Amino acid sequence: MLYQQLINGLMLGASYSLVAIGYTLIFGVLNLLYFSHGEVFMVGAFVGLFLVMYAGTNIYVALLGAMVACAILGAMAFFVAVRPVPKDRPLAPLISTIGLTIILQNLAIYVFGGQQFSFPETIHQTLYHIGPVTISSVQLFILGVAIALMVALWLFIQRTKLGRAMRAVAENHETAALLGVNVNRVVLITFIIGSGIAGVAGVLDGLKNSSVSPFMGLGAAVKGLIVMLLGGLGNVPGAMIAGLMLGTIEILSAAYIGTTERDFFSFLILILILLYRPTGLFGTRTAEQK
Amino acid sequence: MFSGLIDNYTQSVLIFASIHVIAAYSFFAPFKTGQVSLGQAGFMAIGAYASAILTQKMGLPFAVALLFGGAVAGLVGVVVGFPALRIRGVYLLLLTLGFSEIVQVVILSWDYTGGAQGFRNIPFNPRTLEWSIGVIALLMIFFARLERSSLGRTMDSIEQDETAAEVMGIDVVRTKLLAFGVGAMIAGLAGALYAHHTTYVDSTTFNVMLAVEILTYVVVGGGSTFWGPALGAFVLTLLPEFLRTLRDWLELVPVEWTDSFPMNRVYDFLRGFLDFENAKRLIAYGVILIVMMIVRPDGLLTRDSMRWASFVRRKNGRD
Repeated sequence: MLYQQLINGLMLGASYSLVAIGYTLIFGVLNLLYFSHGEVFMVGAFVGLFLVMYAGTNIYVALLGAMVACAILGAMAFFVAVRPVPKDRPLAPLISTIGLTIILQNLAIYVFGGQQFSFPETIHQTLYHIGPVTISSVQLFILGVAIALMVALWLFIQRTKLGRAMRAVAENHETAALLGVNVNRVVLITFIIGSGIAGVAGVLDGLKNSSVSPFMGLGAAVKGLIVMLLGGLGNVPGAMIAGLMLGTIEILSAAYIGTTERDFFSFLILILILLYRPTGLFGTRTAEQK
Repeated sequence: MFSGLIDNYTQSVLIFASIHVIAAYSFFAPFKTGQVSLGQAGFMAIGAYASAILTQKMGLPFAVALLFGGAVAGLVGVVVGFPALRIRGVYLLLLTLGFSEIVQVVILSWDYTGGAQGFRNIPFNPRTLEWSIGVIALLMIFFARLERSSLGRTMDSIEQDETAAEVMGIDVVRTKLLAFGVGAMIAGLAGALYAHHTTYVDSTTFNVMLAVEILTYVVVGGGSTFWGPALGAFVLTLLPEFLRTLRDWLELVPVEWTDSFPMNRVYDFLRGFLDFENAKRLIAYGVILIVMMIVRPDGLLTRDSMRWASFVRRKNGRD
């Protein structure tokens, strides 16, 4: 029972991690709260759904399509709601991305209607029994894709020139610019990468819950924010681990304490972390220390 | 008082607009010391439930319940404000958001007030509009006086530089806590008014989106002067309704003006464009928010624009 719940927790946590990675990347390079990320996640889920349902593609193409579509959407979001807004007022970019959130959500409601769509079964369901634990092929697929994506991103940030530029911009805009990094380009690329990952997360979430709705973005956004804080602002591996942790904690508290209390625990953790460890679990710097 | 003058639809729109104005002031009070709170919806929920328990379960009059709702929310505000003192910026935003979510979970699991079924049969208050306008009037007088008082200047100094204010001998902790508590109390009043107008509230009534809307009212209206929150809440609540009315106005254009080319094309285009259903209206709302933040990131009203408006007064040697 416990092992089974742990597996379920990791499943839930994997999608939290993917959303939080985008948040933390964007927060890292821009030091601003970007509110529309949850809606990018929702759009990704819908793109995946329609590729599978109407274009009849397999799930890999759907994942790739959602990734590309969301990457483009992320770039558009940057040009529409982030770049033209003055940066010296901390609330202005927040409000403009809230505006974008409202637009994206209602666009989805306008186009698809306010109902849920069931996600078709694209992967053959087989159940594997390993000792006391049962894992379905869908679960394995989701976990595999999520982990592969995280590893790839980690290698990209650590090993490539562009990844190094991203780290430099996150460290300090001016210094990076002085050292010849094109800061604006790096910020744009960060939006593209973060949003692409959110798109994949959206499709994986649709697969996991077998449903997609225009309202799925807000919940994902809030959980993503908590994970970002748990992992430490701008800390990518922190976000990965914290996402898996939060997922596990939620599933365990739902299983052993009660489903209503599940969210209570995630927010209690959020508040405790904010008060006692604002640097996150893994000791990154806080926003002010930058 | 107003029942003979305006129809039910207008009255309902005005009631929500005025409750939003009160909620915007609840955000404005802590915002004056630089505290950005996404927890005002949670305080509204506390005010709504506390007051509704008094009227529905104990049969007390609305006036008592309103004050009680405000007082309970204010007390909780001070309790939440204490830990909130330590942090600021994004962290405070997320802390208050977390608080608001916890309030929702508590409401959801509290069977005494209906739990997931929601709090039903709250006594209807037929005078909500009058009460709200009264509260707004008091709030506006309060904040107008505050702006020129020593406490108001203290708050400004904390907002601009907390460390400098502390060095100058200002009691930062007390002032910030006071502002947070007053904000929570005002939110409680808004919640109590809301609950006794709709007669039904549940855990989703006061959700994150509402807190976000309250924040937008103040930023769009302008957070540096006390006219800003009222203007922002009023404009943004009435804007979607106004977009609806625009189309009705179009019908008033005489037929002779629009039945020949090119005016008929313009007319058809406008008619189609203004055919707002809910989703389209909200999309327009989102676009307006983005454009606003690009064009006027300090909000519609700033201190400079207010100074210009009081130009005449200054000429007479005041200020």
